[in-house]
Amino acid sequence: MSGAGSTSSVALRPWPAPTKDVIPPYELHPLVDRLAIERGGGYLRPITEKSLQDQIDAGKCVEAEIVHGVEKSPKNDAPTRQERFDEIATTQQKMFASLNWAGFYASNALDLVAQLLSTDTARNLDASFTKGYKSMEVPKGSFGLHREPPPDTLDERDEQERRQEKEKKQQLVARGSRMEALEWSTNCFLKAASQLEGEVRRESTYWNEVISISEKGWPLQRFRREARNSPFAVRYGFPEASDHFKARGLAPLRMDKDGGIILDPALALKPKTLRVRLSDNGKDVGTSCLSAQGLSTDVAVEKSIQLARDSLFEEEIYHEMSLETRKLLAYGVELRNSVIQILVPGSNQGISSRKILIDCIPRDDDALGYQNQPDDWLAQNVAEALRLLLNHEHRMRLFRRSQLPLPLTQKKEARSSPPLLRTLIAILGHLNAVDSLQAYLFRLAGTLNSAGLTVSLHTTRETSWVRLTNMILESERKDLAAIDQLLEVFSKPFSGSATLSLPSSELQSEKITIATRTYIGPPSFGAEYKVTLPPSIISVLNISQDMAREFKFSSVDEVKSYLNWILSLDLSHSLIKQQYGRRATNMSKEPRVSIFDKDGKRGSYKDVAVHITDGRLSAAVVNNDPSGNVAAQHEFSWEGTTERRPFKDVLKSWLG
Amino acid sequence: MHELLLYGQVPLSRHEQVLKVLAGVAAMQPRRILQRHIIYKPDREPEEAGLNRPRGGTQTIAVKQTKQVGSKDLNYCQLIQQLSEDEFGNPSKGPPVHGGGAGAEAKWTLVFNDTPDTGDRGVLTRLSQNTDIISGDPHAYMVAARHQFVSEYYIEGHRFVHENVVILLHRVLHEPGVRSLATAPKDDLPAFSSLQPLDSSGGYILETKIRVQDLNHPAVLEAGVSELKRFQTQMKGCVELSEPERLALDTRVKYKPQTT
Repeated sequence: MSGAGSTSSVALRPWPAPTKDVIPPYELHPLVDRLAIERGGGYLRPITEKSLQDQIDAGKCVEAEIVHGVEKSPKNDAPTRQERFDEIATTQQKMFASLNWAGFYASNALDLVAQLLSTDTARNLDASFTKGYKSMEVPKGSFGLHREPPPDTLDERDEQERRQEKEKKQQLVARGSRMEALEWSTNCFLKAASQLEGEVRRESTYWNEVISISEKGWPLQRFRREARNSPFAVRYGFPEASDHFKARGLAPLRMDKDGGIILDPALALKPKTLRVRLSDNGKDVGTSCLSAQGLSTDVAVEKSIQLARDSLFEEEIYHEMSLETRKLLAYGVELRNSVIQILVPGSNQGISSRKILIDCIPRDDDALGYQNQPDDWLAQNVAEALRLLLNHEHRMRLFRRSQLPLPLTQKKEARSSPPLLRTLIAILGHLNAVDSLQAYLFRLAGTLNSAGLTVSLHTTRETSWVRLTNMILESERKDLAAIDQLLEVFSKPFSGSATLSLPSSELQSEKITIATRTYIGPPSFGAEYKVTLPPSIISVLNISQDMAREFKFSSVDEVKSYLNWILSLDLSHSLIKQQYGRRATNMSKEPRVSIFDKDGKRGSYKDVAVHITDGRLSAAVVNNDPSGNVAAQHEFSWEGTTERRPFKDVLKSWLG
Repeated sequence: MHELLLYGQVPLSRHEQVLKVLAGVAAMQPRRILQRHIIYKPDREPEEAGLNRPRGGTQTIAVKQTKQVGSKDLNYCQLIQQLSEDEFGNPSKGPPVHGGGAGAEAKWTLVFNDTPDTGDRGVLTRLSQNTDIISGDPHAYMVAARHQFVSEYYIEGHRFVHENVVILLHRVLHEPGVRSLATAPKDDLPAFSSLQPLDSSGGYILETKIRVQDLNHPAVLEAGVSELKRFQTQMKGCVELSEPERLALDTRVKYKPQTT
């Protein structure tokens, strides 16, 4: 509208309707609506005839204006304007009509869809229906839907061909996938079969080995782990071992990839063995060697089980001994650098430089005795003895356990360690004590015999060792095996005995008895000598008859010196007195006799002193001088070699 | 000393199995036990109960009530002889009463078991005194001690020791036949095959026992009772151990009224 300015307000109003005198009521309603909307914003109250009239008067009637405006514009615009108006009106009507139709179709479609969907009562579709549709009150769900190909297809044959092709394609595809699936399944079966075969082979080797182990006597038990590859475990430890070692004595039998058996934990630690060495002044003079292996025909697993058991046993020996060393420090036993060092009791002044060294080394070490040293036999014996003793201790544990237990009291029993080292030290100490004593006694007897004084000597190294066979034969204890009864002897104190008859006694009836008793513990704490004197010497010593005639000594040297003194006393006071009768008097407690010698007019006293030292008997005639001035006039000594003049003859030659 | 006891029953069909289970539990082989039990009764007849209490009124002046002492019970006691298999059926080498040398366990034992105590400890408690007889004639001793022979029976079974518990799986055998005229135990033992079980089904009894020196120490007693109960739960499922009725083990001599 180029004519009207852009700023001027344009009021669109409907084409003036033909005026009618009577407006039918159905035409009045839209008029009233329009009125209400145009003026007064929806309310009709301020609109009265008077206000309308006022508005007309005030010139609000634009109709005329427009008409005027139309008329004022130049005439040549009027037809275009008119046409334009017509055009606009027609297009407006068309637009309106098409919009109405569009709305109609859309609402129809919406109604149709909503009706179709109304079968589903859960949906709330009230808002989707139009008002007109709702007023028809079509029942819900009364429309159904069925899809089918459009009835009027273009070409029947084309359609059929297409269908056939599709079917063929589908069949091919189906066949192809079936073949693939069958192939895959056969592959699976083959794989499964081969795997099963392998498993069967593995299992049969495993079970064969398990059966062979069980037949050899090893106890098997079920292992608690549910793992497939180790259902069994072999208990290779000793059943009576002490706590820690008993727990270690179990090895699960694991299956490896070929079905053979691996012993799990045994491989982790190297097998150990006990090594005993003897050393003199620090130099090795003897070593024990490896214990014997099993038969070579055994299966590898059994060999490793045996190795494991042996190694555990040796470790147990070492462990028990190292616990024992703590109590045996007083006997010269030490644990240094994990080596147990034992001082061997020797003959000179008690302690020699000989030591026993015991340690537990891995089996593969080459340091085990192949060097053929001089004292290998002793080291080997010591090692074997220790093993025997621990075995014995195991059996004794079972024996003690099977006895009727004592009634319960408040006292708790302390469990002492097995007597391995104690027995070893006791044996070595006892042998040393007895041997040193016996050596001296033999020497003494030889000396006295060579002096023409007959003495008899009987010695026993250990009283119960002598009677061992008889003891086993006569034993009535059926509940303890013979070997255990034998070894029980070694846990008890040892006692050896020696009897020496007095030289002054005829028929050798008076005997000195020396009992050697060895026990590691109270009361002797080692070796102890008990000397029992015969009655005849008691009177010499001025001991009253009812006092005990026993004396205890703790070392060989003391016994030796005491024996020397007793024998010399016996020789002087008893023998010489017997020989010389009234002529002999003894003045003191020393082994000295005064012999009255009828030399010349007034007799003089000659003192004969008898002295025994270190296996040598010596007699001397000394001055009658009790103050100790021992200038000897005559002297003679015997040493144990033969062909000497008898004692009595020598004395006769001096004294007449 | 006192004994804490629990008993269980094992039918003959399960004897082997239970023996193996017990060997596993105790970790030792069963030790065969054969015993002969000889029962003795005191010569003195028990008095009628209640006789020594005064009945009725008295005409004495009221004096201090002296305590009425109930008459002491008389109990049966037993001599137990340990036997071995080869002693059955052999003519005995002399009267079977001389004790041999010092064996590990004495051949003859004099056993006195008191009536079990009342009380609800869960286990049966009784005083028991065992005296080993080393030498001499036990029967002559019992006769001199004014006891008379009642009867004898045999026990065969196996014994295990598990820590402090003594387990005895045994059954009673006797010689069938009339023996009421015997006044002394037999010198010759009968053949083992002639003995028959007292319980004709051949069932066994499992006796578990802990010996306690003294009931006065509650800690020791508790330890013993709890150990026995632990063993009971350990054997659950295999053998049911329970506390038997106390009066079933009553060893008192009952009063028999004289029938004129």
